[in-house]
Amino acid sequence: MKFVVIPAYNEENHIKQVISETKKYISNIIVVDDGSKDKTIEEAKKENVIVLKHIINLGKGAALKTGCDYAIEHGASQIIALDADTQHEPLQIPDFFKELENVDVVLGYRKLNKEMPSILKLGNWFINKITKLLYGITLHDTQCGYRAFTADAYKQIKWKASNYSMESEMIANIGKKRLKYKEIPIKTIYADKYKGTTLIDGIKIVCNLFWWRLSK
Amino acid sequence: MTVGILGIQILGILFGLFMIYYVFLHRKRKELTIKEYSFWIFLWILFIILTLFPWLLNPIVQSIGFARTMDFFIVAGFMFLIGSLFYIYLLVRGNQKKIEEIVRKVAFEKK
Repeated sequence: MKFVVIPAYNEENHIKQVISETKKYISNIIVVDDGSKDKTIEEAKKENVIVLKHIINLGKGAALKTGCDYAIEHGASQIIALDADTQHEPLQIPDFFKELENVDVVLGYRKLNKEMPSILKLGNWFINKITKLLYGITLHDTQCGYRAFTADAYKQIKWKASNYSMESEMIANIGKKRLKYKEIPIKTIYADKYKGTTLIDGIKIVCNLFWWRLSK
Repeated sequence: MTVGILGIQILGILFGLFMIYYVFLHRKRKELTIKEYSFWIFLWILFIILTLFPWLLNPIVQSIGFARTMDFFIVAGFMFLIGSLFYIYLLVRGNQKKIEEIVRKVAFEKK
């Protein structure tokens, strides 16, 4: 069975659109409301999909893990992670599943364009270089959340981080477990420049990359 | 010189008294058990006694090789703080993990 997991935090304006677009390509959709203070959960429930609710906000990593664990418990063989802010186009879901037939993990990467904030470009470049240095993985984009993995791969790359560091931890685990991966380009729309990875998150991610290299 | 040391002692005593009041307040709010209350009161009284009569520590201070009791206090204080920090770090990490597990369990059950 194939599942899509959408972690959402205060996304009442976008969640309905993301779900209805996603429904065109897959029926098993899990939305994890990560303790939103707005009407995200009510909006998601209107779409008749599986909605899990965190009673408090834990972070994207924890929300995605909740969704993935639920999917695995209900027989998922392949899972796609998708952001709830319309940043990722569900249109590309079939591409991810197609590539997943040959590899363990498929990672989306955002093409550099004028819309991408400069600080994100610089941060991404730096984190990519550190990742290559520490884990021997060459990627275009280590921070893109549009990803797909098999159930077996999920068990091996399962992250501990509850925040945005989970994306890097997943990459670190892919490198350490020597899983087969492939990158595919995705189109990205930046709906809210105040959400997502911040400069402080970036610094934490770099520190964590060194820590994971030493600790596991 | 004597006035300087006396100033530090007054500060130490005031701090100790404030901490006793703080412990007492938390006991009144029923946030500390009688054992915890006794332990902390004993600790802060000991702190005040040692601030008033630092020479009581002379045998220990001299045997370790410190020139002044004040130096011993500073080093011991730092060691205690670093130890406490590590203990609190482990405690917070453990609690974070437990909270995450509870939140996930509730999410699954209330689906």
